[in-house]
Amino acid sequence: MQALDKVLAQVGRVVLGKEEQLKLALTCMLANGHLLIEDLPGMGKTTLAHALARVFKLEYRRVQFTSDMLPADILGVSVFDPATQQFSLREGPVFTQLLLADEINRATPKTQSALLEAMEERQVTLDGVTRDLPQPFFVVATQNPVDQAGTFVLPESQLDRFLMRISLGYPAPEVELQLLAGGDLREQVRELQAVINSEGLIKLSRVVGKVRASHELLDYVQRLLDATRSDDRFVSGLSPRAGLGLLKAARAWALISGRDYVLPEDVQAVWPSVAEHRLSARQGGSVAATTQSLLQSVPVIRR
Amino acid sequence: MARIYQVPSHTRLWLALAVVLCSIPQLVKGVLWQTGLLALVILIRWLVDHQRLTLPGRIVRSLLLIGAVGLTFFSFGRLYGPEAGVALLVSLFALKYLEVVQQRDAYVVIVLGYFVCATALLFSQTLGMFLYVLLCMMVLTTCLVGINHSDTRASGWVHGKRAAMMTLQAIPMMVVLFLLVPRVAPLWNMQVGGDKARTGMSDSMSPGQISELSESAELAFRVDFEGEMPSRGQRYWRGLTLSHYDGRTWQQAIPQGIPESQYLYRPGNNKPDWYQRIAEQRESGLPGYRYQVIAEPTQRRWLFSLDVPFPIYGDVALAKDMRLVANRPVSERFAYRVESVPAVAEEIDLTRLERQLMLSIPEDAGVKARGLAQQWRLESPSAEGIAQRALQYFREQPFHYTLRPPRLAMDPVDDFLFRTRRGFCEHYASSFTFLMRAAGVPARVVVGYQGGERNELGSHLLVRQYDAHAWSEIWLENKGWTRVDPTAAVAPERIEFGLREALENSEEGSDLLDDLGLRRFSDGGVLALVSQWMDYVDFRWQTWVLGYDSVFQSEFLGDLLGAVSPTRIAIALIVSVGVLMGLYALFLLWRTGKAKQTLMEREYWRLHQRASERGRPLVVGLSPMQLCDAISEQWPQAAGAAQSWAKYYQKLHYDPASPPNKQQRRHLRRLRNRLYKLLD
Repeated sequence: MQALDKVLAQVGRVVLGKEEQLKLALTCMLANGHLLIEDLPGMGKTTLAHALARVFKLEYRRVQFTSDMLPADILGVSVFDPATQQFSLREGPVFTQLLLADEINRATPKTQSALLEAMEERQVTLDGVTRDLPQPFFVVATQNPVDQAGTFVLPESQLDRFLMRISLGYPAPEVELQLLAGGDLREQVRELQAVINSEGLIKLSRVVGKVRASHELLDYVQRLLDATRSDDRFVSGLSPRAGLGLLKAARAWALISGRDYVLPEDVQAVWPSVAEHRLSARQGGSVAATTQSLLQSVPVIRR
Repeated sequence: MARIYQVPSHTRLWLALAVVLCSIPQLVKGVLWQTGLLALVILIRWLVDHQRLTLPGRIVRSLLLIGAVGLTFFSFGRLYGPEAGVALLVSLFALKYLEVVQQRDAYVVIVLGYFVCATALLFSQTLGMFLYVLLCMMVLTTCLVGINHSDTRASGWVHGKRAAMMTLQAIPMMVVLFLLVPRVAPLWNMQVGGDKARTGMSDSMSPGQISELSESAELAFRVDFEGEMPSRGQRYWRGLTLSHYDGRTWQQAIPQGIPESQYLYRPGNNKPDWYQRIAEQRESGLPGYRYQVIAEPTQRRWLFSLDVPFPIYGDVALAKDMRLVANRPVSERFAYRVESVPAVAEEIDLTRLERQLMLSIPEDAGVKARGLAQQWRLESPSAEGIAQRALQYFREQPFHYTLRPPRLAMDPVDDFLFRTRRGFCEHYASSFTFLMRAAGVPARVVVGYQGGERNELGSHLLVRQYDAHAWSEIWLENKGWTRVDPTAAVAPERIEFGLREALENSEEGSDLLDDLGLRRFSDGGVLALVSQWMDYVDFRWQTWVLGYDSVFQSEFLGDLLGAVSPTRIAIALIVSVGVLMGLYALFLLWRTGKAKQTLMEREYWRLHQRASERGRPLVVGLSPMQLCDAISEQWPQAAGAAQSWAKYYQKLHYDPASPPNKQQRRHLRRLRNRLYKLLD
């Protein structure tokens, strides 16, 4: 898939030294899933989202979430038009192809769930009128993991709507040097070339569905899911929806890796970002470490 | 009538098959209109299922019903009783099948089917029939599985396989219930098949009757000896004692004026004097043979045994002329156990009335023979001497032993003794007895079987119709009734080796044997072995399954449980059913818990194990490529080999487009073996 390599190369020009995360973000888009980025401010979340929108030639909007936000601020509102004597819908920012929901945990649960519902259904119902969201539709939400004062933490049931959660982290020293030496990031993002248009993206996500997964691989995925359920270090195990998401993400990862069938490595590559945010550890445990340890203890080949 | 209640199409064929299979045992009995009815029903159903016809209405079905009932009455003369009842049931079964619209109707047909196929066991209880009924039940269960299967696209074979599994799983339970559930004697006596004609002895003997019997290889009875078996020459299976002669035919007779209770001893009844004497004698420790006889149905009351039989088990009585009598006609296979003590025969007395009967011969028969007998009497005064003289006569004169004797003229005795001189055992026995009576020695004819072949597998004895034989008994003052076999004087090989050898040496030669089809049992080879095996299986079925009645059961349970009481039986039943259920549960757990490892999986784990043994222990969560990396890290020299193994494995195992074939798996194994050598 030369086009995908090109996408990675383009985005890599502005988000430096984060090949792994880029690939995961791309995987998430190909798998038609929403992405949650958990990181401190200024780590390049916006740049990443914006760059993705550019290379796929997607309509892009950004919403900064605050605690006084109402659902209407996102979905839109019906207004009375005196000229026509009728109500007409003023679309909210959600009517776009790629929505960056910044600091989603600052909004009240009511507003959060309005967005999350729109994400799941890919449509919005206002005043009894249902309107489809544009195709494709992606949400990249961000969350600040450290500054928790005055936030409404997303519950696990809501987090399940995000296919993946990634974090970017600090750049490596030499990458940071390169970054400092570079010019204006905003300018650079604007200069990015579109590689595939939105139709191309839709087509690609259909190809993802055709990536073959053998019975043995499905068995491995199932055993991984099972392991989270029977492991008492977790409060509860992964849902079947998470399992479907894991497989889809693994398929997309395989496609990006240039294969038309899925290997266990593909599952393992997407495993932390698909599984971690849906699981919570019992007190004292680390979700990340426990999730990772399952990859060691679950046999890849059935024994 | 919602669509969902209809019988799935993949089950309709099974249902039709089940109906036909369940009806076949009744249809082969030859009531032709029943076959026609079933064929008509199947045809209508086929047309209905293919939308060529609507289901026949109430009137047509009623007419068919009335017709079936009427024809049953016409064929059997009644509507009750086992034959007519089963015939009616099978007809109604076919008509019920005609009506099937909804699932509920199909359930009725299936449940009825279980009953219909079981009725076949009323008429025949052979192993073959049992297996056939089992097959019917399997097909019926297949229908049940099919009706309850929600996936309408499933093929019928899936149901068949499942039903077979279910039936097989039910077999241990069946065995436990068979062994433990108390057996009750049948509440009714059906007398099934009572009017069927069969080959076998008749209650009289006239020239030609036994030689006719000799042309049949049908089984007469089987014997299972406890301990040693007498030699062939001593195996005289007594059936009937014939005392009355009318010049042509010998018939059974009891001396006039003797009540049956004096002549016949039934275990449990009063013991007649003669029985008391022989029973006392038996107590004194005379050698005897103990054996079980399983007689084929004859519709007659007589049974076969060696001299002198004491009934041990079975519904039988002993007559004074040393024969066993069943208390009911033998209408199905019948088992009895006896101990035969030959030596007690001399204790049986001869009353005046009996002597009179045993000496009587018709006035006008055998004038020349009478003269001969009187001459012998003058020559030697003792009975033994006369008998010896008669046997010598048979030996010295040109007598021939033949299966196809010429017809005898008006006076059979003289005609045989002085003209044809060609005869079968009955001719010799008859004329010898006549000569003895004419010479004043009490004598009688005994018919039964002689010899029998041993089944090498089961070491039991098979006695067939062609072993039928007739011999004589004469009364000696000091020895009582003594067996004399005049046939032995003419054709000793008949007694020593059996009929086949006797015939082979006879003048008719061996082509007669071919004509009679008697050869098939003698020649060695596969066929003989197969026939021995079949007989063995049938015999064991007879003794172990059909012979397992209330008496054997209490004996068996006594050995098993120490003492037989309802509580103990109940506990044994609960425990064994519980154990079986537990085993099933364990099996199911084991099977779901551990699905069988495939060859590919084993391939991986072998390498994993080898690498863990030779180097660092490895975690289980390694993909083939990661395993290869772990190996390359520890054994750099093996990196190349590991790489090619992992790539090949990965492709075979994870690409559904190329599932591994045998050759590819072999190649993979070669790659692994190459890798093995590098892991040191």
